[in-house]
Amino acid sequence: MSNKTKIQVAGVGGQGVVFLTNLIVEAALIADIPVATSEIHGLSQRGGSVTASITLGENTYGFIENAGADFLLGLELLETQRCLNYLHKNSVVVADNFKITPFLVNAGTAKYPDTEAFVQLLKPQIKQVIVIENITGIKDILRNMFVLGVASKVSSFPLSAAVIRKAITKNVADYNLETTLEAFELGRNYCNQKTNNK
Amino acid sequence: MLPWKYNKKMLQQTIDILSSYQIPKKVCMMGNVAVARGAIEANVDGVFSYPGTPSTEISEVFSHVNSFQNRKENIENYPEQTANKIYFEYSINEKIALEKAIAYSIGNKSALCVMKNVGMNVACDALMSITYQTIVAPLVIIVCDDPGCHSSSNEQDSRYWGKMASVPIFNPATPAESLKQTKSAFLLSAQLKLPVIVRLTTRVSHTRGVINYGKLSKKNSEASFERVPEHINIPAKTAAAHTQLLNKLHSDYFNEHGVKYNQIVHQTKNKKQNANIGIITSGVTTVYVKEILERSALKNNYSLLNLGLICPFPTAIVLEFLNLPLKKIIVIEELDPIIENDVRIVAQENKIKTAIFGLGFSTLIPTGEFSLDSIEKALLNFTKDQSLKNKNVPIKNAENLVKNLPLRPPTLCAGCPHRATFYALKLAVPRNIPDVILCGDIGCNGLGALPPLKMIDTINHMGMSVSMAQGLSEAFSNSNQSNKTVAMLGDGTFFHSGVTSLLNAIYTKANILVIIFDNRTIGMTGHQDHPGATHLNKYHQIDLLPFIRGMGAQYVESIFPFNLKDSFRKINDALATKGVSVIVAKSPCIFLPEFKDGSIHRKKIVVDHTRCNTCDNHEDKQIACARCYSPLNNLSRAKLKITAINHVPAQKQLCPANICNHGFFNSIIEGNYSEAVKMVRDKMLFSRTCGDICHRPCELLSNNKTIVPIKKLKRFVSSFDESFFDFSNAIQQTKNAKKKNKKIAIIGAGPAGLSAAYDLIREGYAVDIYDKEEKPGGMLKYIIPFFRMDKTGLDYETSVLEELGVKFLCSKQLGKDFTINDLSQKYDAVVLAIGLWKSKKLEVVENNIPDTKKHTALSFLKAINTDSIQANQPLRYLVIGGGNSAIDSARAAKKINPSNTVTLVCIESRENMPAFEEEITHAIEESIEIVNEYAIEKVVDSNNSIHCTIKPLLSDKTQLITCDVIITAIGQSPNTELFSELNEQTDKNSSLININNENGFTNFKNVFAAGDVCNGNHQSVIGAIASGRRAATGIRQLLENYKYGYEGIAALKKLNQSSNPPLNPLKEEKLPPFGRVEVGQTSNFKPQTSKDLLERIKGMDLYQACAKCNHCIDNFGCPAMIKVNGKIEIDYQKCTNCGLCIDVCPNNAITFIEEVIPV
Repeated sequence: MSNKTKIQVAGVGGQGVVFLTNLIVEAALIADIPVATSEIHGLSQRGGSVTASITLGENTYGFIENAGADFLLGLELLETQRCLNYLHKNSVVVADNFKITPFLVNAGTAKYPDTEAFVQLLKPQIKQVIVIENITGIKDILRNMFVLGVASKVSSFPLSAAVIRKAITKNVADYNLETTLEAFELGRNYCNQKTNNK
Repeated sequence: MLPWKYNKKMLQQTIDILSSYQIPKKVCMMGNVAVARGAIEANVDGVFSYPGTPSTEISEVFSHVNSFQNRKENIENYPEQTANKIYFEYSINEKIALEKAIAYSIGNKSALCVMKNVGMNVACDALMSITYQTIVAPLVIIVCDDPGCHSSSNEQDSRYWGKMASVPIFNPATPAESLKQTKSAFLLSAQLKLPVIVRLTTRVSHTRGVINYGKLSKKNSEASFERVPEHINIPAKTAAAHTQLLNKLHSDYFNEHGVKYNQIVHQTKNKKQNANIGIITSGVTTVYVKEILERSALKNNYSLLNLGLICPFPTAIVLEFLNLPLKKIIVIEELDPIIENDVRIVAQENKIKTAIFGLGFSTLIPTGEFSLDSIEKALLNFTKDQSLKNKNVPIKNAENLVKNLPLRPPTLCAGCPHRATFYALKLAVPRNIPDVILCGDIGCNGLGALPPLKMIDTINHMGMSVSMAQGLSEAFSNSNQSNKTVAMLGDGTFFHSGVTSLLNAIYTKANILVIIFDNRTIGMTGHQDHPGATHLNKYHQIDLLPFIRGMGAQYVESIFPFNLKDSFRKINDALATKGVSVIVAKSPCIFLPEFKDGSIHRKKIVVDHTRCNTCDNHEDKQIACARCYSPLNNLSRAKLKITAINHVPAQKQLCPANICNHGFFNSIIEGNYSEAVKMVRDKMLFSRTCGDICHRPCELLSNNKTIVPIKKLKRFVSSFDESFFDFSNAIQQTKNAKKKNKKIAIIGAGPAGLSAAYDLIREGYAVDIYDKEEKPGGMLKYIIPFFRMDKTGLDYETSVLEELGVKFLCSKQLGKDFTINDLSQKYDAVVLAIGLWKSKKLEVVENNIPDTKKHTALSFLKAINTDSIQANQPLRYLVIGGGNSAIDSARAAKKINPSNTVTLVCIESRENMPAFEEEITHAIEESIEIVNEYAIEKVVDSNNSIHCTIKPLLSDKTQLITCDVIITAIGQSPNTELFSELNEQTDKNSSLININNENGFTNFKNVFAAGDVCNGNHQSVIGAIASGRRAATGIRQLLENYKYGYEGIAALKKLNQSSNPPLNPLKEEKLPPFGRVEVGQTSNFKPQTSKDLLERIKGMDLYQACAKCNHCIDNFGCPAMIKVNGKIEIDYQKCTNCGLCIDVCPNNAITFIEEVIPV
């Protein structure tokens, strides 16, 4: 991989996609890595899909092309699947096994896609798929930090835990800081636990 | 927008953006924020804007700046950041914003005016003239275009305004350029005394990149006004002013700025033209091209010209580029070919032969957004340079897989007051009423068009709803369609431009309803202020009600949308008022502090799963139900919940045959009479018969104050022949039933036996019915007199059984042709339903009167029904007895010859007569004399007459009645010889058969019993029908291990415990004169009956939980309500405790429970 890294973040309005993106940007600035992002705002508060593209490195401008994402951080499984076209052979997917049913599924006119099949489809085609099975002990709104924690453990992730911690400290209000950092650390421990269990 | 103090990041960003940096501060910011910083570095004095995506964040920065700078503690703590005060306002629309910005500039204060693409259309009136005049301090207009329409109503290309208004246009490609170009725009505006536009697109506004915050200088502008002729625009001067304007566009200042922003960023190194390719870009396409060219192994082949200051057109640099040794040139710009056309002009004027490509080449189309992928494709096609290609290996078939995923369109939030208003309107104007047109508007209001609400027919541009409604209403003014047209718009949109249209509507006497969704903010773009906003005290709040009343609208009311009953009522009133009605639906947006202050914290919404999507009528969910599932039906059920005055739980009006009275009633409310008949037929054959003669225990035994007139409704819906003759459901059920290969014998073809047969045949049993008479029907056929019921209808209803496959063995007599034992061996089960056919006799009559002059009720009524009574001579009848058969006999005696005199004598008082009250009333109306509380003392037959002495119960004053015929009607008893085999099972007092109350089993072999012959059974048609159904259930339990009890057991037990025959508590209840419904013709009483009847049930609601309910999903769509395994679950992350779903749920499954929810 070149010195460029592209990270796609996907979720639903209210899940903290923008917040997660802000942290990655802040961390990159602390690490002195050129960074740019692209997001679509507007209807996100109304429960629609929200995605953000983050590009790190020279000569990138925040845009991710098809088969261009080195990392996909998915906060919701359907939205994670919706970013399939950005993945390539060397991509790493970190996805929270969290579902928010869209109205069409709720109304019974569409089916929530088979997530197991999705994972099976991905596994042979990309470098690594981490589906976080069961996040407990933290508020739902901090699941994004857990996902970031898991991603930061992947060796090719361009930002160190230290700079991410600094970014969190800089961005999060004092009364939420402890729980936010805790969620991040729980995410970092997640992979260890999994390996230990095996 | 939350106050800045709650948001650490926003506070820091505000302090940063107001700070001066000796050493540039590196930040990663959105293009919109960069624009704001550019304006601050250019010393902007005031900002005027109207929010709109993708421009919104620019205004938000200044809104934060403004509130930051005005706080006392900040003035002390941040003297540097608060020194240069920046005025900010959200103007009510873009035109006002620009006009005020122009004026601000003329007052010698520099101004920034911010809007989205379509905002410029509103503002352009101001723009098009000021250019002919003069501004004083610099004025920069920011316009954000939205290729791909992420959040706009069109994809217009605002670069045209440069040519149209003759103003300079900057077009930055990145956040860094946005900062610099905004700063330059201020300078250029000051130099030219002309407004300057900075035009962004979504991908520049909402892209973040690293930018540098530099030094800020001290500001020292003083407000001033100079009286110069340029401030007065009169036609005499305009032509000359136009020349001056065009001269400004040829100013040398453009060279100074053009050098910085119009650059050949990459130049081919090859001397030979052959392989060299030129690319001209502007805006975001520049970075797409740069990133793709970065991949190329043939970098030396490319020249790239980026244009940032595009109007007036930078001819010199373009000519320089065209003169490079290039083989061909491609112009890559989003939307319209504005630069491309000018490039072609320059080429033509200078006779340059290099081939120029642009719009239309490969993926370069004028609609939608470009992307790295579309531009890669265009460049690959253009250059054939394979090294430009992305080398990553993609996922197979990814695009197809993504395409098939369910979409996640935005919805109104959980707790949104808009949904409450839309829902109230939906109850008032269901969407199956086609001639009410609903005109919606831009913003959150527009989300009402999406499923499941679908309460909008038109959406146009901002504020158009009110004009659309009045225009459509005018178009339809001379047609039959006189319904009001409805306009709906948010409060922000109303102040923006709806208000002028409303004035026009009132002034032109339009006939419309305007609903203003007043949530006290501009919701969609992130909660900015407007004249109705309350959450910041900076502005003076305008109260809509007095304002609109002052305009002179005919009806002006406000509603609190969560009060559904009141909202529904007022919407109806408003629709009924001619002229302009205005409803202000007032409740704060859920993101405003007021909403949170008003929400209920100590309670929690819970769904009772035993009521949600559950049938209360029967436990066995396999039992057929003719009620159609439809969103409209459920809407109608839900509507009754809100609109009805009298709510009757269906449990209060149970039918012993377990007809679903809730579904039956609602089918009628919905006007679906055939479905109502089908719901009766789900449970029994006899819809018309029961409509005629049922004694309606569902009404009489209800102790409710309000009673739904089920019997009259049944009679009404059964009078429609097409419904009455339709047994298609029963035929289908019989056909689909799994054949049980079991044979059932039923003895007695009366209502009990026929009902058992109807249930069993539909469950796949083979059924034979034995009856002593020639034809089936029992007492219904032979005893109930013709004037009480439609006999032809009965014949049809019984004949259907034959069609279903039931075998009738008529004229077969129990005891003579077969015995119970015989059948019990031959069949898998037997139902004994032989009724009571033995009349009780009165000794004085028996001993003294010859057979020719006497009858029993049964023999008389049977003779009547078989037409074997001679009635030519008027006769005097004496009927003895006070029960139904006595009344039937008396009335029949009168009916066969109106000249007959009929006297009825009974020992009961008038109040205690066992006959149905209605029947007694009819008898009296028909001039039958009723003598109460007398016993028969003596009967003497002389040649011409019978002399009967009667004696009061409590005295000795006898009376004499003279008559020709005596009818004894003192009751019936069973013919016990017929079932002597069951002696053990017979009640010693009544001689009736003892049965198991749950299933009709006689305890003898495989024999069940039903109808009047059973001990403890209610002697009525419905009692017979229900007990027949109970026996059928018992047989199913015996033969197929059916695990459920008889579905109507509760109502049947209640009936059996009621007075037998029943006493009538509703003395005033009268059936209308019996209008005979002849088979094959439509009844003549239907029209007026239906009108009275439907009027009578108006305001009634017979409610019950229904399994065919999906109402909240189909018609309401709160995102906090999720259906999991057929039941609604509440998503507490989203639920705002608004409680509206409690009023929405027609199953009454949702309630609040007390619980402290941790905040």
